[in-house]
Amino acid sequence: MREIQLPLSQTQKVRLQKALEQLESLSTKVNSDASVIIADSIHVNHEDGVLKGHGTADLNGEVVATLCGVVERVNKLVYVRALRSRYKPEVGDIVIGRVVEVAQKRWRLEINYNQDAVLLLSSMNMPDGVQRRRTAVDELNMRCIFEENDVVCAEVRGFQHDGLHLQARSRKYGKLNRGQLLTVPPYLVKRQKQHFHHLEEFGIDLILGCNGFIWVGEHVEAKDDMIEDQVSQSDSQVLFPNKNCVSLEEQEKNYTILETRKYISRAANAVRVLSTLGFNITLEIIKGIIDLSLSMNLDIHDMLGSEFCVLVAEKEAERRSSMKKRR
Amino acid sequence: METDRPDGRTPNQLRPLACSCSILHRAHGSASWAQGETKVLAAVYGPKAGTKKNENPEKASIEVIWKPKTGQIGKLEKEYEMILKRTLESICIRTIYPNTTTSVIVQVVHDDGALLPCAINAACTALVDAGIPLKHLAVAICCSVTDSGCIILDPTKEEEEKMKAYINLVFPNTIVSVLPERSSQVGSEPMAHGIMTSVTQGAMSVDDYLHCLDRGRAASARLSEFVRKNIGPKSTWLGRMGFLCR
Repeated sequence: MREIQLPLSQTQKVRLQKALEQLESLSTKVNSDASVIIADSIHVNHEDGVLKGHGTADLNGEVVATLCGVVERVNKLVYVRALRSRYKPEVGDIVIGRVVEVAQKRWRLEINYNQDAVLLLSSMNMPDGVQRRRTAVDELNMRCIFEENDVVCAEVRGFQHDGLHLQARSRKYGKLNRGQLLTVPPYLVKRQKQHFHHLEEFGIDLILGCNGFIWVGEHVEAKDDMIEDQVSQSDSQVLFPNKNCVSLEEQEKNYTILETRKYISRAANAVRVLSTLGFNITLEIIKGIIDLSLSMNLDIHDMLGSEFCVLVAEKEAERRSSMKKRR
Repeated sequence: METDRPDGRTPNQLRPLACSCSILHRAHGSASWAQGETKVLAAVYGPKAGTKKNENPEKASIEVIWKPKTGQIGKLEKEYEMILKRTLESICIRTIYPNTTTSVIVQVVHDDGALLPCAINAACTALVDAGIPLKHLAVAICCSVTDSGCIILDPTKEEEEKMKAYINLVFPNTIVSVLPERSSQVGSEPMAHGIMTSVTQGAMSVDDYLHCLDRGRAASARLSEFVRKNIGPKSTWLGRMGFLCR
């Protein structure tokens, strides 16, 4: 997490400052009393029996903040939402992690949490799609499914005695191939109903992980189990999709056309622009930035320049102003 | 009797302060703190899983690594490391993340006197930047006593070599209300009377010690105001954006 590092010229600085002030004026009416610093006292009505949540502490009968952030009140719960902290897992979150270790019957994944997450062999679907018991042969073949430094998409299952557990029980989870993995601060990704997005006009898949890992990759069709069973009977290599094979047919499978690779890079740069400016990362804003860069006939690397970032900030200010008036 | 200081400051005047947060990319929290020419860069990593050998796994442990400007760390740096570790342990809420280790790396950029208070201020700011839960903030200051009994604040290295004694003090930050009306009702900020750390060097009488406490406590109010202004959610770019996008 770092400050904005754009080499802004004087004109761009003035334009960016004006867009930021406009955004701030749109939000200040609602939020003016909500921000706290460590050891600030939070005003609560003690007769209501208030609950003290995360980021607060009781000090001499007074509720004080232990983090810098924004005070949130949900009925009787008062907590502080930190703006610059690591990922806090919740059951059901979609997360993207990187395999750091293959241990006995489990993989350890790094998901931007203070300890590694655990994905058990019994918590995921086998590549052949057959629902059966895991045997010792499956344990020996764990590196054929995921090996170290693979990128995996999973769901938070819960906290067990030995740490955080994940599960990958449907076809949409599992190993991610042929794309880019981006890291943004986790508070920029809001929890929504849908975190898997398919951008049909570009042919790419977008997965917004709640832990701040974002995957932009080539679109893959989610096949159902019946077709998978038929394929497995005729091709035994499906059991080991990770096997290294130098045949021309295998290279053909891993090839991504240039047009799709350009769209992947453009979407990844759109996410990077949002992360640099500190804006919320949602599908509509990402699509808007991609369309804006395409309409300007901008090169992919120019999306990371100062001029385009200032333009994105100005467009966002206009969008929120119009949404405000429409409401 | 007023003492003329070489850089033109009055005895109670601090050197100009500069503070910036989130300057390191890979650290979970980082801060740079400068008082005059003395500058320290602090980085916080963690909380990471696991505990060192002789630490208590039921609480979060803090590891402090002091990196001098040049050369290897000696006895003086080892003492600074220990003082810094104890100060940070007293302000962190260590029951929230059991069996974890938080590493604080302090890199000395330049030393022009009052190095330990500068490092404590930088480390506390970096902990706030990393989102570690803290009981309160800490502000550190250095007072020194001349041969004639005069007390001056925030000495430079040149002044440190001429002093009879000096003391490093760390105070907890004051608690202010979120509501502005309550602050105006009180009329003035209530002064917290706690002392977190006190390290003296040289011969110092009891009267001099108490005078240093009074001067340091009065000056820590200005330091507290500066710290709160710099680490608040509205002070940085990312904080403003995250604040706006709630």
